[in-house]
Amino acid sequence: MDALQHFLPQVWFVILGLFLFLYITLDGFDLGVGILSLTASTEARRSILMTSLGNVWDANETWLVLMGGALFGAFPLAYGTILTALYIPAVVMIVGLILRAVAFEFRENADRKTIWNLAFGIGSFLAALGQGFALGSVFEGIRVDGAGHFVGGIWDWLSWRSILVALTLIQGYVLIGSTYLVMKTTDGLQQTYVKTAKLAALTTLAGAIFITTSTPIFYEQVRLHLFSPPLLYVFGAIPVLGLLLVGLLWRSLTRGEERSPFVWTVLIFLLSFLGLGLIIFPYVIPPSITIYQAAASPSSLVFMIIFMGFLIPIMLFYNIYNYVVFRGKVTEAHD
Amino acid sequence: MEFLSDAVVLSRMQFALTAIFHMLWPVLTTGMAIYLVIVEGLWVKTRKPEYYHHARFWSKLYVLNFGIGVASGLPMEFQFGTNWAPFSEAVGDFFGSILGFEASMAFMLEAGFLGIMLFGWSRVPPIVHYLATIMVAFGANLSTFWILVANSWLQTPAGGDFINGKFVVADYFQAILNPFMVNSVLHMFFATLETSLFVIGGISAWYMLKRRHTAFFAMSFKIVLAAAIAVTPIQIAIGHLSAEQVRHYQPSKLAAMEAQWEDIPAGSTADWSLVSLPSNKTESNRFEIKVPQGLGYVLEFKSTLSEPIRGLKSWSQRDRPHAIGLIYYAFRIMSGIGFALAGLMLVSVVQWLRGKLVAGAIADQKWLLRGWLFAAPLGYIAVESGWIVRCVGRQPWTVYGELRTADMASNLPAGEILASLTGFAVLYSVLFVTTLYFASRIIVKGPNLELPIPAVALKPGVEIEPADHEPNRRPTEAQQ
Repeated sequence: MDALQHFLPQVWFVILGLFLFLYITLDGFDLGVGILSLTASTEARRSILMTSLGNVWDANETWLVLMGGALFGAFPLAYGTILTALYIPAVVMIVGLILRAVAFEFRENADRKTIWNLAFGIGSFLAALGQGFALGSVFEGIRVDGAGHFVGGIWDWLSWRSILVALTLIQGYVLIGSTYLVMKTTDGLQQTYVKTAKLAALTTLAGAIFITTSTPIFYEQVRLHLFSPPLLYVFGAIPVLGLLLVGLLWRSLTRGEERSPFVWTVLIFLLSFLGLGLIIFPYVIPPSITIYQAAASPSSLVFMIIFMGFLIPIMLFYNIYNYVVFRGKVTEAHD
Repeated sequence: MEFLSDAVVLSRMQFALTAIFHMLWPVLTTGMAIYLVIVEGLWVKTRKPEYYHHARFWSKLYVLNFGIGVASGLPMEFQFGTNWAPFSEAVGDFFGSILGFEASMAFMLEAGFLGIMLFGWSRVPPIVHYLATIMVAFGANLSTFWILVANSWLQTPAGGDFINGKFVVADYFQAILNPFMVNSVLHMFFATLETSLFVIGGISAWYMLKRRHTAFFAMSFKIVLAAAIAVTPIQIAIGHLSAEQVRHYQPSKLAAMEAQWEDIPAGSTADWSLVSLPSNKTESNRFEIKVPQGLGYVLEFKSTLSEPIRGLKSWSQRDRPHAIGLIYYAFRIMSGIGFALAGLMLVSVVQWLRGKLVAGAIADQKWLLRGWLFAAPLGYIAVESGWIVRCVGRQPWTVYGELRTADMASNLPAGEILASLTGFAVLYSVLFVTTLYFASRIIVKGPNLELPIPAVALKPGVEIEPADHEPNRRPTEAQQ
């Protein structure tokens, strides 16, 4: 039974990690394309951007709903505490996602599109901003009492380090959005996004370097956690691999490759995500509440695995099918 | 304006506001998805172009509402964590799992196949497209199922015990199959179906009154009417069964629904109140129009009550709902609309049998068509009223008889909630008005009957022409 109480929360930590990773990657390029739409030079170009997302944005966003539901069920304490602590970033994110989602439907039917174009771009930016602050402040730690209830103030999520994380995440989204568009567009439009991809690669890298170096300096707990073997080797390897991947991304962009930049970006996301996961584990409300303390009862966790576990491959299957059906370029019409 | 500094009241207002607005969109799309399955099924079977054009026209309204429904639903899930953290912790083991099931089984299914349903007409074979439409409808209704499982568990918690204020599940299937579950799911399922049917029927009636595409809309009108013959009486029957359950499991809610202050002993008769002014101060109704001996007929179809009924006074003030008037009238509005829609269906069926609804003559049935036009928004009002009865009537409990709403709110500064509440109120009002505006534009524009029929024998995964995606618009195949 003891082993079970250790094992099950770990399984759920990994499942939640999977949902979160899929969300950040898939809705990441959605949000990135949305932010980039603010800079689109013509209405025709903006239309291509939105068309490239038309069939997938809803499914991509659903991974967030799924992550929320699974966190609620598997770690109820964390769900309540984290969201209460992050009240303002959560509301900003939700408002952003609402603006963005309705822009798809309303722009389609509107004669004057400016307001919905703005709703789409600004909504995407707000959603990314809220998520960035949330990530930054979870990373930084949430003040709780002995029972794991939030005891901090309403502005706890705001610090220069969380601003840095938020900016880096936005850059990351712009990067993956750009490489997605490199894959989905042609000609001049494609060239534009090769440029934004390169720019975003540099800014994201700068942010990542800053976060990687500042984290052990500012967080004693993380420092002790990281600077002891065997994690030390892992954390030594992650920045090296990261630099290598950025190099490969740069080369593929320079060579004018179409699909590989996106693949390299996804791998960069994966690597960063694993790094963050290893820093946070075994905490679910850093720096004090572990996954074992916040977990639902073992029977609950087992029940959810039985129901949800077998659905994960099915969900992945039809989501992939959706991408296969709509594969190919989105270009301007010839009529 | 004391409530503006009360975090619990503000959190309740925020939840109520987002729920009342959010409901407007999925209540249509959930039912309409089934309608789309029916018309597309007719097309797949008969290959009549009319059915294809029906599927395409109604899916325009469908997608408008669907997108807003998704967007407006997001705050619902997150509020459990942001505004009701103690609640999340207390019941997360069960309640949270159910929301997780909703997302993974239902919502994801709907979202995953929606792209194919909307834009895949010429990209996948018709049968795959039809499968996608079925999956979208199935997912939507599975959502109803899980949400109603979660909500009915709040009404009649089962399958475990509260230990130190935290719910520990002993038997999940017992918790899922809690006493209210079956009736609640069915009542909501038929509510979404009925609302959609009368919206589609009302819009069809509008076109026929305007004598636009009369034959085309006579078709959808008859499909709707055929479905309404079954749906409206079933809904009344399930409504009655639900009220019986409320009487048994939530006596304080029943007392509020009937504004009944005094106990009624078994074996006696009681009047049924039709209109009244309930007052919490005097603990009585200040003014009342009653149907003599009606309560027994309403509840048991006979004049004497076989079991006693508890009056509101038998609970202390803090253990019974406060908004008696709201619950009382919401219940009357809901059931009144239920009967009104069934009546409209009956009159229409009589006209149908008399041969008045043939394509050539249907537009002359002006009073009948106006009735349908008037009925179009009634389903929404009934659904909103029903949820008010259900959730305001449950107060002061979040989990009936176990957890008090006042103890379940997050400890947040009131100003913070007030700010988000104001933001949501403005945003949702804008969404509501813009949806009406764009929906009316779609309706005024009307169906495109020239839309080419997709090729019947289509290979799976056909070559994708770049020109398929056009700027400024949806991909060509998604256009009306």
